[in-house]
Amino acid sequence: MTYHTLLFALAVCFALWAVMAKKLLTSAIMLALLSVTVSLIFFNLGAPWAGVFELSVCAGLISVLFIGAVSLIRTEDQSRPESRARFYALPLAAAIFAIAAWFYLPAFFEELAGWKRMGTGGGNIGLALWDMRRPDLLGQVLMLAAGVFVIKSVFPRKPQASRGTGVNK
Amino acid sequence: MDKGLLAYLLIPLFSALLIPFVARNRPRLADILANVTLLAGLLNLAWFALRPSMLRGGFADIPGDGLSLLLVGTIYLVALCVTFFSAWYLDENLPNRQAYYSLILVSVAAMCGVVTTTDFFTLYVFIEVLAVTSFALITTDESKAGIEGALKYFLLTFPASALIIVGISILMLTLGSLSYENLQLFMASDIPSGPVTFAGALLMLGFLIKSGVVPFHTWTPDAYQGAYAPVSAYLAGIVTKISGVYAIIKLATLMRFFDGRAQALSEMLMFLGMLSIIAGALAALKQTNLKRMLAFSSISQIGYIVLAAGVGTPLAVMGAVFHLVNHATFKTVLFLNSASVEKATGTTDMDRLGGLEHSMPVTSWTSVIALLSTAGVPPLSGFWSKLIIILALWESGFRFYAVLALLFSIVTLAYFLMMQRKVFFGKKSQAAENSREVCAPLLAPVVLMSAVIVALGLLFPYFYSYIQIIAERIIL
Repeated sequence: MTYHTLLFALAVCFALWAVMAKKLLTSAIMLALLSVTVSLIFFNLGAPWAGVFELSVCAGLISVLFIGAVSLIRTEDQSRPESRARFYALPLAAAIFAIAAWFYLPAFFEELAGWKRMGTGGGNIGLALWDMRRPDLLGQVLMLAAGVFVIKSVFPRKPQASRGTGVNK
Repeated sequence: MDKGLLAYLLIPLFSALLIPFVARNRPRLADILANVTLLAGLLNLAWFALRPSMLRGGFADIPGDGLSLLLVGTIYLVALCVTFFSAWYLDENLPNRQAYYSLILVSVAAMCGVVTTTDFFTLYVFIEVLAVTSFALITTDESKAGIEGALKYFLLTFPASALIIVGISILMLTLGSLSYENLQLFMASDIPSGPVTFAGALLMLGFLIKSGVVPFHTWTPDAYQGAYAPVSAYLAGIVTKISGVYAIIKLATLMRFFDGRAQALSEMLMFLGMLSIIAGALAALKQTNLKRMLAFSSISQIGYIVLAAGVGTPLAVMGAVFHLVNHATFKTVLFLNSASVEKATGTTDMDRLGGLEHSMPVTSWTSVIALLSTAGVPPLSGFWSKLIIILALWESGFRFYAVLALLFSIVTLAYFLMMQRKVFFGKKSQAAENSREVCAPLLAPVVLMSAVIVALGLLFPYFYSYIQIIAERIIL
């Protein structure tokens, strides 16, 4: 119960941070962390497959694509800051949501815990990730490495003279 | 996942991560590390599969289904040829040299993941890694054609990924598991297979797009023409074969095409395979750019593999697997030779080339070996794989397809002979006047691959017993 509450609170924090962040890169990272938190919630609710897919696809693959795309446009984005007036109301909306959650979410969590007890064969994070989906973890490591090398390859800092075919003629 | 082959995935990954640190100030170290990693892996595999006791036992001791081992070996062989060639081909001051080698090693690791996994979701993850690394490798050449090719690749292959993930979701909903074994067991049972076949069709469609089969081939010529020639050799030789064609063969065997459980899907696959053979060959006839012609030839040859996968009988699967390996060898030779021609003359426009045979004899003769093998001329390796495919078609009653496949093999020979005449034979063109043979290190990979083509053809009985074991193990 406390674990759920903490994870939900963390998820909300990451979501707000993703929306409020001034830098797109921070937004993308916060979105990835939000996906990690949501996948932990899935694991805890006895849905390891949903958790694994959320972790693999949303926190892994999509984050790599987002970070790659953000790297492409970062310079221009920083030179033309967006209007942030509409975000000023967000803390107020978050505060209203928090007060409402204080009253309504505990009952919702109780219900979820009931569903979890009814679920069978859920397993814990270790079992789901290490015993069932170990190759996926390896795939994630590869994807993260690929993402880093893609950024290094597509956006290198190159001297003007070396542009062109790149062939050693 | 085949744990015995896990090291072949982990070691290139480790080297890829090491390169940016080790080669930060000495870019040449990136070449050395990448080549040493791949050479060590290849020697290890060669000893494992070709040691005397294994040959005496007729490959009966090969672990797993044997296909993974064969394909890991092919991946390492093509990647080694490409990295060795690149070490001498790329500009000394190329700013993303370390990232280039790291990307190749990451994609080698991902391909090893693709061929060793036994689960659809893991397959998807590794195929996505391949898509991302391929995109970056195509953009290594920052010419307009390179960027255009990369964007076309991106726009066509990422929707394919979406189709694959939807297919995987439906499989998960209907089977409750994503393992290959469960799908095979389900297809062997008498349970109506409607939703599973639908999921299989979505997966198949995704893999067909990634393979560049007609009518999903539009990204292929631009990507191959626009990328650096070693990258084209790498993509055409092995990457698209593993990320698309291998998955098609695997799915065809899992869905038991040979016993008619998914007949509509099997027929669709055969039709698209035949369409690719015809459209690819006819388009190749009209090309004037060497790399673009090779790209269309690649589309045509993939058609043979897809056609055989559609038949799905053990003999057809043997033909498909053998042709996949053969295609990796001869297409690597032809693309690397196109790179040598470009380096020597500064162009790949066939109308401006001619008479290179005298100044570039090794390049010319290795091209002859590769093109004759592609066209299916005996006793080279391509002859045996095409013969098996045509025999499988004939034996299964698809005689019209068999005749067409044979006929377009002759068309293949025609466009390649035209290519050879335009580029290497005849009168010396102006572009060829000052050209001379490329240096020995650039010739070494193509000579090695040509030797493999000849050896696979001459030692076919040994190889036949190996692929027979594969077909028996993956189908039964």
